[in-house]
Amino acid sequence: MMSLPFLLFACGLGAAWLSQRGASMGFWIAGLVVLLVLFRAHFGDALNIAL
Amino acid sequence: MITVPGDLSRLLNALGLIAVDTLLVIAFVDQLWFRDLPCPICILQRAGFVAAGFGIALNLLFGPRPSHYGMTIVGAAVGAAIAMRQILLHIVPDSGSYGNAVFGMHLYTWAFIGFVLMIIGSAVLLLDDRQFARSEPWSNRLDVLPLTALVTFIVLAVGNIFSTLLLCGAGFCPEAPTGYLI
Repeated sequence: MMSLPFLLFACGLGAAWLSQRGASMGFWIAGLVVLLVLFRAHFGDALNIAL
Repeated sequence: MITVPGDLSRLLNALGLIAVDTLLVIAFVDQLWFRDLPCPICILQRAGFVAAGFGIALNLLFGPRPSHYGMTIVGAAVGAAIAMRQILLHIVPDSGSYGNAVFGMHLYTWAFIGFVLMIIGSAVLLLDDRQFARSEPWSNRLDVLPLTALVTFIVLAVGNIFSTLLLCGAGFCPEAPTGYLI
């Protein structure tokens, strides 16, 4: 799950290498959306403060 | 020698991508050499650097376009938000920190500075309109510097897929990883 943004960005870079600019930008947008979803999922990670 | 408008832009983009490559390499060195395993938010910051560097990579491959700079700015803004979240987690005195400090600051603080510099750098490069008005077509053949920067960036993006898979498996990462799951 956590490797999904990297996978999508790597696919986008591969598409760019093959001169597929539209597909490349599509993969980038998908990767960014997944990144934001994962950030939301980890937004409330524990804060280890001894109060 | 820089003779055509836009060549300077390609050179600066190549140097920018090398800077992103360097940050991602430092993160790997910290993980593999100093055994400092990245937390989930740290991994997302790495993804932020890849998202931001993506626009620079497209500038090198297709020539500079405002949309590519926009991708870099958006990616860096997302990355900066993630880094800021981690800074705020540890901003309370005596609340501890995560990972090793490098030159007095933790990697998430350096990451935030890096993202802000990427936003400022992209905005400054956007000021040069001559790079977008170039009449000559962009050559598909990259010089050594842009090619090295680009190939290294792709290798680091793929390397992060395997590193994250080893660390987190197929699901979510533990909040404070103590070892590799695979």
